[in-house]
Amino acid sequence: MSGKVIFLLSVALSSAQQLCTPGASDGYKVRLSIRTALGDNAYVWSQNELFLFRATLAFAMRNHFDGQDFQVANIIVCDETPRVSFWFVVTWPDDATRLVDGGEVEQAIRKSRKRINSAFLLNDWTLEFVGIAPTLAASQLPATPPWLIAFGVVMGAVGAGFIILVVSAAVQKRRKKKENVEDVAEDEDSDVEAPAPKPLKNGSVRHEPSGVSNIAFSDDERVTQM
Amino acid sequence: MGEDARPNWDSPVQFLLACVSYAVGLGNVWRFPYLCQMHGGGGFLIPYLLMLFLEGVPLFYMELAIGQKMRLGSIGAWSAINPYLGGVGLASIVASVYLCLYYNIINAWSFWYLFNSFQSFLPWSDCPVNSNLTGPLEECQKASSTKYFFFRETLNISSSIEENGGIHTGQVLCFVLAWVITYLFIIHGIKSSGKVVYFTATFPYVVLVIYLIRGLTLPGAIHGITYMFTPKMEELANPTAWINAATQIFFSLGLGFGSLIAFSSYNQYNNNFEHQAFTVAIINSGTSIFASIVTFSIYGFKATVNYENYLNVVSAHLPLVINKAVEGVGLAFIVYSEAIQNMPLPQLWSVLYFIMLLLIGLGSMLGNMTAITTPLRDLKILSKVRILCLIFLLLGLAFTTPSGNYWFTMFNDYGASFSLLFVVLIEIITVSYLYGIKRFEKDIEDMLGHRPNWYLKIMWMIVSPLLLIALFIFYIVNYIRGGTPTYQAWDKELGKTVVTDYPIFGQVFIAILLASAVSCVPLTALYVYCTNRKHSTSIKESAISA
Repeated sequence: MSGKVIFLLSVALSSAQQLCTPGASDGYKVRLSIRTALGDNAYVWSQNELFLFRATLAFAMRNHFDGQDFQVANIIVCDETPRVSFWFVVTWPDDATRLVDGGEVEQAIRKSRKRINSAFLLNDWTLEFVGIAPTLAASQLPATPPWLIAFGVVMGAVGAGFIILVVSAAVQKRRKKKENVEDVAEDEDSDVEAPAPKPLKNGSVRHEPSGVSNIAFSDDERVTQM
Repeated sequence: MGEDARPNWDSPVQFLLACVSYAVGLGNVWRFPYLCQMHGGGGFLIPYLLMLFLEGVPLFYMELAIGQKMRLGSIGAWSAINPYLGGVGLASIVASVYLCLYYNIINAWSFWYLFNSFQSFLPWSDCPVNSNLTGPLEECQKASSTKYFFFRETLNISSSIEENGGIHTGQVLCFVLAWVITYLFIIHGIKSSGKVVYFTATFPYVVLVIYLIRGLTLPGAIHGITYMFTPKMEELANPTAWINAATQIFFSLGLGFGSLIAFSSYNQYNNNFEHQAFTVAIINSGTSIFASIVTFSIYGFKATVNYENYLNVVSAHLPLVINKAVEGVGLAFIVYSEAIQNMPLPQLWSVLYFIMLLLIGLGSMLGNMTAITTPLRDLKILSKVRILCLIFLLLGLAFTTPSGNYWFTMFNDYGASFSLLFVVLIEIITVSYLYGIKRFEKDIEDMLGHRPNWYLKIMWMIVSPLLLIALFIFYIVNYIRGGTPTYQAWDKELGKTVVTDYPIFGQVFIAILLASAVSCVPLTALYVYCTNRKHSTSIKESAISA
């Protein structure tokens, strides 16, 4: 009885070994650069670490396929090298002879990439799945682009300035109109100069706001020599 | 006297600042440093300063004198000088119209970059991630993040001038803002402009000084400065250096647009414009040199940042960095934003820089809009400035389309370059020979109280016209030798610009741009001649019949 079990196990093992070969179409090569990432704090790669890896991968497969109970045994590893690289393939939990399609494996790994990395204190570049591009963080695009906010502020300020300009111009016009009405009434009575005349440089007096300066009378003496 | 006396500047200082604000433009910041490095660093200063006194100051002085004497905008002033040459003023206006159409898009870009600076990470410092989240966007990777931000996210540029479709909302908003602000600046003529120029003329210098201090303290800046100030004398043997110096002085001072005539027409009759002409011309050139010191210190810093990792001698790599330098729009937006992102606290530097670009650009817009509104007001054609601004806004929206940048380059290269040379050449020949240098001298004596220096007379009569004719011929020869006009189209796949021929309609448009301004002069002369003949024949007939 036990002999049969041993025989079956060895068959299973050998078939498993046959499933995992370097260059397998549904398999991936993994490369770990622990010393590059951690320097002096690097841990030593051992079979226990490999076990953790297989368990993490099983976790990733479980996350990807809802309901499928992947086991550590479903992650088959081969062609280990001491620089720490190896190949792996994934078999279905219910049928150990069938490999999970490479595309599905890739998607599963990309989904849980961050968790796999953090289990080993590595990142996308030091824990490299050859053939699976690292997943970059999506650009955080806020709901309102920030430039629009700045634009809104400036446009608002400009608009406010514009309104102030228009309103003040209108107010001034109204004031002028009122003054003009009073001026006209005054002029009819007297021909004295309007209140507060503004003397010009050459001494002549100018009535504000109407009145035009006659440049023919300004600074002529300097040039004309008699 | 008319109901409205001609408005005046509140003080001569306002006029001076208005001229400075107008003359100091984006060309001082991006074209001069490029020319400087292209023609061997410090040695370029020799032809540049020489041309300033041979060509720049005399022509600037002449335009101010005409405006102040005639007290009219460009059309009225030139009609007064010679009845057949009112077309010169008209040509100036046409050139100004073209400039006003396209120049505000640069201000729109400055606003766009300014608003995008208010983020924790400057958006041009990193490439965005592609849709699979596997890596940066391919276009961005092939080019660089700053180039990508400019060509894709700011312009959304198409791959040729023929392709079009859609507008960039962000750009449209910024463009509208630029026009609203321009309108507010000129809404009350020089009463409003005069106050605005106190700020637009002075604040850019504040920013430049701050940048100078920052630039000189950057690591590696000294290499850039030494490169700039080590003259390569052999470059002076190259005639292109002299021609570029002459054209740079010419365009940098903003001659021929009619803005200077417009500004000085609001002066008091006896304003000492001679003093102001020299001051503004020297300030303008000084600003160019100042800006290039800042630029070269940043080049030195960039070389250090790029090559320090390779432990190579920085000075060996400086030429590599500098020779990749681009001019024009590229330098201002791409290279500078690249340099800014490496500085500590980049948001602050970015905001300062783009505010400076904005003020400089708006100041130049102000001058050109005044060049258009002044003669129109004189002729009583225009009563409301807002209609003009609205028209320019609507037409200018074409520059916010994906192919807009190609149209912009076309207008920039052809709309207001050759025509200005022509206009100013006619101006100087008219004043020196048709109007008469003696009459001109007397007018100046009338205004200032003394005759102009003999140096100026020689320049006006001989040297400046000869220089302008030489430039004119050079331009024509270049156009003919250059064959089909080309432009730089952005190739999405390659992530860089490729030289492309203009299509037929593009070449036709270029011809229209060139011909429309230049033809104003002969056409108006012809029109005046015909009107006079009709008038004189009708007088004769009425005399005979009476």
